Amino acid sequence: IPVQLVGCVRTVKTTTWFEEHLTEDNQEYMRKTMAEEYRRQTAEKLNPLKDEPWQRHEWTEGSRRVGLVAVKLGMAPIWTKTGEKHAVTMLQVQDCHVIKCLPREEYDGHTAALVVGGKNVSPFHRSEHYMEMFRNAGVPPKQKITTFKVSDNAIIKPGTPLYAAHFRPGQYVDVTAKSIGKGFQGVMKRWGFKGQPASHGQTKTHRRPGASGPGGDPAKVFKGKKMPGRMGNIYVTAFGLKIWRVNTKYNVLYVNGSVPGHRNCVLKIRDTVLPTRGSTLLSPPFPTYFTEDEGDLAEDLYDDDLFIHTEPSLTLT
Amino acid sequence: MAACSRRLDKFIVSLRLLRNLQLQNERFLSTSVCRWAPGNDSEPPKFIPPSKPVIIDKTQAVATLRKFLSPEFIPPRQRTNPLKFSMERKDMIRRRKILNVPEFYPGSILAVSMADPNATGKINRFVGICIQRGGKGLGATFVLRNIINQQGVEICYELYNPRIQKIEVLKLEKRLDDNLMYLRDALPEYSTVDPDMKPVPFPPTGEVPLNELKVKMRPKPWSKRWERPKFNIQGIHFDLCLVPKQMEHAQKWAQPWQEYDMLKEYDTSKLEQQILSEVQQEMSK
Repeated sequence: IPVQLVGCVRTVKTTTWFEEHLTEDNQEYMRKTMAEEYRRQTAEKLNPLKDEPWQRHEWTEGSRRVGLVAVKLGMAPIWTKTGEKHAVTMLQVQDCHVIKCLPREEYDGHTAALVVGGKNVSPFHRSEHYMEMFRNAGVPPKQKITTFKVSDNAIIKPGTPLYAAHFRPGQYVDVTAKSIGKGFQGVMKRWGFKGQPASHGQTKTHRRPGASGPGGDPAKVFKGKKMPGRMGNIYVTAFGLKIWRVNTKYNVLYVNGSVPGHRNCVLKIRDTVLPTRGSTLLSPPFPTYFTEDEGDLAEDLYDDDLFIHTEPSLTLT
Repeated sequence: MAACSRRLDKFIVSLRLLRNLQLQNERFLSTSVCRWAPGNDSEPPKFIPPSKPVIIDKTQAVATLRKFLSPEFIPPRQRTNPLKFSMERKDMIRRRKILNVPEFYPGSILAVSMADPNATGKINRFVGICIQRGGKGLGATFVLRNIINQQGVEICYELYNPRIQKIEVLKLEKRLDDNLMYLRDALPEYSTVDPDMKPVPFPPTGEVPLNELKVKMRPKPWSKRWERPKFNIQGIHFDLCLVPKQMEHAQKWAQPWQEYDMLKEYDTSKLEQQILSEVQQEMSK
């Protein structure tokens, strides 16, 4: 048993992991062959033109395009041309592929959907049922899969890679991720209650919720009453985050402000739902950014207001 | 007449050769050899003092030959992707090529010129002792302290802020501690720096001088209990302000086991060498 799994209890008894009935040589061979196969698969998918790509439509009013799955790297400061400092989160798009296309009738009758997967992960600790859809798409298995509701003209063939250049600087974006889990927390941390004073005769009551409702008339506690419980580890969305910079070499997006989730967690990024931050000014790549179409973009794409460090110091005249 | 002209020709050619030789020699030894007036050998040569050497001042002033890596380049011990640190380092190097950030330590005296956002076009110059250097990556800061009109002033500057026009080191030296926050409770003479101080010249090679100054403090209470071992301050003259009994009482808060805690070890030597070589390579491009 490897060192990392010494204290763990096995809960899934239906499937067997690949190592259980193999000798050590065979295990090593399996690992090597799987890794080579996935590298070959990703290399194939880089040029989707080779195998009958789907029809690409033009952007129309009211069409929605796909989003991306990215990994949160960390935060850094950024300065504008007027000298103001803003904090920025760096999100890296690692191996993002479209896995399945669900046309309108299959999904819900109103909109089509695309299933997109993020970060690559080893196939040996996932079940066969999970591996099935990746096998159909010809793509290595991913850590996170999400569905994006998409208009009919933005459907993409399963297997196409998605890059960070799909978003441009100046666009606004919503980021959804699982917030950091805090465990079972009291009412002051979870809901921001004020608690009770620390002194002046308080007996054993400093962080308690206090009263739980009106009194004799309802004679009950309403459903949804804020009480202590498990906090965090739920999906939270941050809306209207501006993109300051896109690095096309490493596929990194610099997104304004903070984003839910811990470092190295997988997030879902999509175009804003907010009506005041729609991207009518810019012409984003629709349905997505293809390397053969738009050719060579500069390594770094900056927003107009951003101060780039290769420029001379600001004199603010 | 023809013979005289031939001899004259040879004479002139030899003179020209001599002058060329002289000119060539001048290029190599211009300061040591004084130039002779372009006159004849018969008259005594008129003395012209050698021209002063022209100093070309570039933004990258004399780079230190000491191996110094700024502390903000060393990444903290976290579970972050090293790609994030390498991208930040690239940005930091791009900024350093424009603004020359010299080598300095807490205890050295700096002068910083920064553009003011509320007074467009004006540049503020502040001179002070660096009390602390904090932050890693692009958000690295340093705090300068000075006493102006009997009022203590501390300003925290961001090293990579684009409004900073120039950072000059007026006096490069190290002190016994990394963090000189105790200067707030010391006598004001230790924090005063003359705003019109001239830069003290320092050669690029050689050790940075260590100033083993023990500072005299104002009477207690202080802003922090500097005698406690967690601050580990070497630069205060405790004998003048504290009784040995108080020093022993302060030792109650000592945590001697922390020195042997293996999980708190962070050996940065290899990382430092790697990053230093990377940074020097990029800066020389």
